[in-house]
Amino acid sequence: MPSMCEATTRVLPGAAVIELSGEVDGSAADVLTDAYHAAVGTDAGLGTVVLDFAAVDYINSTGIALIVSVLARARAERRKVVASGLSAHYREIFDITRLSDFIELFPDLDHAVSELTGPAA
Amino acid sequence: MTQIARPAPGTPRRLDAFELPSQPGNERLALARVAETVQGLGLSDARLEKLKTAVAEATMNAIEHGNGNRAEIPVEVEVTQNGDEIVVAISDQGGQAHPGGSPTEEPDLLKKLDGDQSPRGWGLFLIRNMVDAMDITTNGQRHTIWLTMRTGGAAHAEHV
Repeated sequence: MPSMCEATTRVLPGAAVIELSGEVDGSAADVLTDAYHAAVGTDAGLGTVVLDFAAVDYINSTGIALIVSVLARARAERRKVVASGLSAHYREIFDITRLSDFIELFPDLDHAVSELTGPAA
Repeated sequence: MTQIARPAPGTPRRLDAFELPSQPGNERLALARVAETVQGLGLSDARLEKLKTAVAEATMNAIEHGNGNRAEIPVEVEVTQNGDEIVVAISDQGGQAHPGGSPTEEPDLLKKLDGDQSPRGWGLFLIRNMVDAMDITTNGQRHTIWLTMRTGGAAHAEHV
């Protein structure tokens, strides 16, 4: 099944942003893995990865599993993961699954970037 | 997880019934059609989103675990209304061996993060937390998950 998920990455001082769009389901595994690699690169000192879901319209249980895998890897590398742009429905799913205990949620990417890099960024 | 009980009998009104080939991705078709069917029946937007997630997850289980991704074996979906309850029944041919309906370890995020549990295994957990009631019946090879959502009800007052 072709992936309906796309990701773009950009690196800011101290943080990398992965902007996701489309559907985060099982078919998004390679997209998410590649995006994570592109985001963190070889910067062992990069402290935070931002996952932006503003353009995501569907996340299923397999997509949740992929997010868990990204979080597990980031934790192992001593990086923080934050998320932005989740709809109210998916914020609730992040609460139910307890992902929000480990991933700080921001209403949108601007808030996340501002918090992480300061208002001037 | 397999239960004998099913939603209380009444005089349900069938709103829709359809079949889907057991192919990955077809859960999106199921959720879209169910959402269209129940439109205007009094579910709030938030509760409709929950029902859509539950339908998608149950259909994924039916496609993958019940029918083994064999397209020629259809997943059957029936939507009924009984008073203030909307019931979506999703059936496959997985029978008693249906992994999605057997007792499974409750997902534990910390265990998953520590590698002590697979990152997967969220499907039934999500369904239970999305709807007002979830029941599972097995009759021979026929395995059905019943998703009940009350119209106009409080968000997730209880679940099984």
